[in-house]
Amino acid sequence: MSKVVARPLITVYNEKAEASGTSIQLPAIFRAPIRPDIVSFVQQQMSMNRRHPYCVSEKAGHQTSAESWGTGRAVARIPRVRGGGTHRSGQGAYGNMCRGGRMFAPTKIWRRWHRKINVNQKRFALCSAVAASGIPSLVMSKGHLINDVPEMPLVVSDKVQEYKKTKQAVVLLRRLRAWTDVQKVYKTRRFRAGKGKMRNRRRTSKLGPLVIYGRDQGLTKAFRNIPGVSMISVNKLNLMKLAPGGHVGRFCIWTESAFQRLNALYGTWRLKSKLKSNYNLPQPIMTGTDLSRLLKSDEIQKVIRRPRKMIRRASVKRNPLTNMRALMKLNPYSAVIKKSAAAVAEARKKSKTALLEKKREASATKKVAA
Amino acid sequence: MENDDIVWSIINKSFCSYKVNTKTQRFCRNEYNLTGLCNRSSCPLANSQYATVREEDGNCFLYMKTVERSGFPRNMWEKVKLSKSLEKALRQINEYLVYWPGFLKQKCKQRLLKISQYLIRMRKLRLRRQKKLVPIQRKQDRRERRREEKALVAARLDSAIEKELLERLKRGTYGDIYNFPQVAFNKALEEEEEEEVEPEEYGEDDENEEEEGELDEELEKELEEESENEEIEYVEADSDLEAELEGESDVEDIQVNKAQSTDSIKENIRRKPRLEIEYETETSKSLKHKV
Repeated sequence: MSKVVARPLITVYNEKAEASGTSIQLPAIFRAPIRPDIVSFVQQQMSMNRRHPYCVSEKAGHQTSAESWGTGRAVARIPRVRGGGTHRSGQGAYGNMCRGGRMFAPTKIWRRWHRKINVNQKRFALCSAVAASGIPSLVMSKGHLINDVPEMPLVVSDKVQEYKKTKQAVVLLRRLRAWTDVQKVYKTRRFRAGKGKMRNRRRTSKLGPLVIYGRDQGLTKAFRNIPGVSMISVNKLNLMKLAPGGHVGRFCIWTESAFQRLNALYGTWRLKSKLKSNYNLPQPIMTGTDLSRLLKSDEIQKVIRRPRKMIRRASVKRNPLTNMRALMKLNPYSAVIKKSAAAVAEARKKSKTALLEKKREASATKKVAA
Repeated sequence: MENDDIVWSIINKSFCSYKVNTKTQRFCRNEYNLTGLCNRSSCPLANSQYATVREEDGNCFLYMKTVERSGFPRNMWEKVKLSKSLEKALRQINEYLVYWPGFLKQKCKQRLLKISQYLIRMRKLRLRRQKKLVPIQRKQDRRERRREEKALVAARLDSAIEKELLERLKRGTYGDIYNFPQVAFNKALEEEEEEEVEPEEYGEDDENEEEEGELDEELEKELEEESENEEIEYVEADSDLEAELEGESDVEDIQVNKAQSTDSIKENIRRKPRLEIEYETETSKSLKHKV
């Protein structure tokens, strides 16, 4: 599947952070799909791999020959230490509730400490992480201060690989306006909260830029004393450095040769990777991700139905047998019926009263006559 | 444009360093945000075409961001200075954001309005006198108060004043006010002896009110002896005491002062036992109350 993806030219900056003549086309890896879920998962699994096993001693709590005293001795039935002549005799043993007893579920050394991660998953995560490092918004949202950086992704000439002095490294970072990120590291140096302090993890700080080189001709030694700065080789890209904490978007500074190598390492979609056997960049699920644009496009608009803008709200049902209005809605003639019925009733009433009066008159005249 | 939705889905669901969550709303701490809220339409990171109005030193600027410059953070924001008059500035916004989405136009104008309103208010406030609110750290305040009290006690002002006045007397800054003729002085002393009786009577009356009179009588005797002794010593000490009180005084006043001073001394001496007794009476009274 051929992908038509825009791959602009990235200018390479010299040591003075001026645009040197060269420019490189953006490697295809920077257009790989960014899947923060995969990155997070893989990072989590990877972080398990550097754990040291720990467990309680096997024998702990069992180095007694305690036996329960049974019932009838007015004590709890927990196994008790035998013998006499010491405090320990008669004390409870073995249980997790006992002092000096074994813990509940003693930790075992054969716990599954490390995790196996599929190679393809690892590579996918790495591609996502590298792609995210090329989007300034994501790098800023991670917390790096790159407001004045000349270009993203940032590529520097290969001369940097030959740096021997930290001073040179600092000057370079200053010129590239990456020094604010390092200053942020200085400002956030603090002591760790918690017991890590006494477990050789005393100090913490934020992370600064990541320098990715093609060939180390002294670069590592020049940059290693600057707090927050990490250095890795292109050939050994590390997800833990590219997406620390499982979040994508670390600020990366590439050297020219490192940048050039990416295409060979990971391939473009058109060409497979040369250095990884039978590997090509991950295919995205959607090629066009701008949802609003998609929805407004002709192809989709032609097919969808008109939007229903009228809102129908639920109405209360009224009983027609009791509610006159509901009855009239159903049967408009009912009004006429009712009226006529009323009229008929009136007429009957009248005639009845008339009859009664007549009868009364008749009886009255009779009485008079008699 | 392609990126926007992806960026928003990441920022929205997982982490954004500018996002601030409150119980009711989500805020955005990004300085270029138009509304201050974290929304799909107001996120400056998730919209490649975006505009804001910001104020710097009383000048309003219109910042614009377009897709073309999205890869170059340094040049991403185009800055246009808006005129100081609100009408003209609104027209400028209309001019620069002609074919832009209505939301951005509307919010930019609203923001400009708000900014201009608060600038007016700031200018007005500066003309008036402003109260400066200084926050007081409770811990420090407590500390300072306690230290003030301690310093007051440590200073011992009374004794310092006494010393100062004595020194002044010795130096002679008050002149020779306290050198009186011997005869007058002797007379004054005699009068003092008489007056000593009166304050003693006064003292008795006071003591009759109290329960334990015997002790006081004994004390009285002691005091009399002491006072007599003090009288003799007073020749030197009197002047000091007078110096403590007022500088300019007649002989009669001095006598009165002497009497007063003797009284005061006696009272001072008596006060110590008196205090104890009063304490007991207070408790007895309180007991009565309790009953």
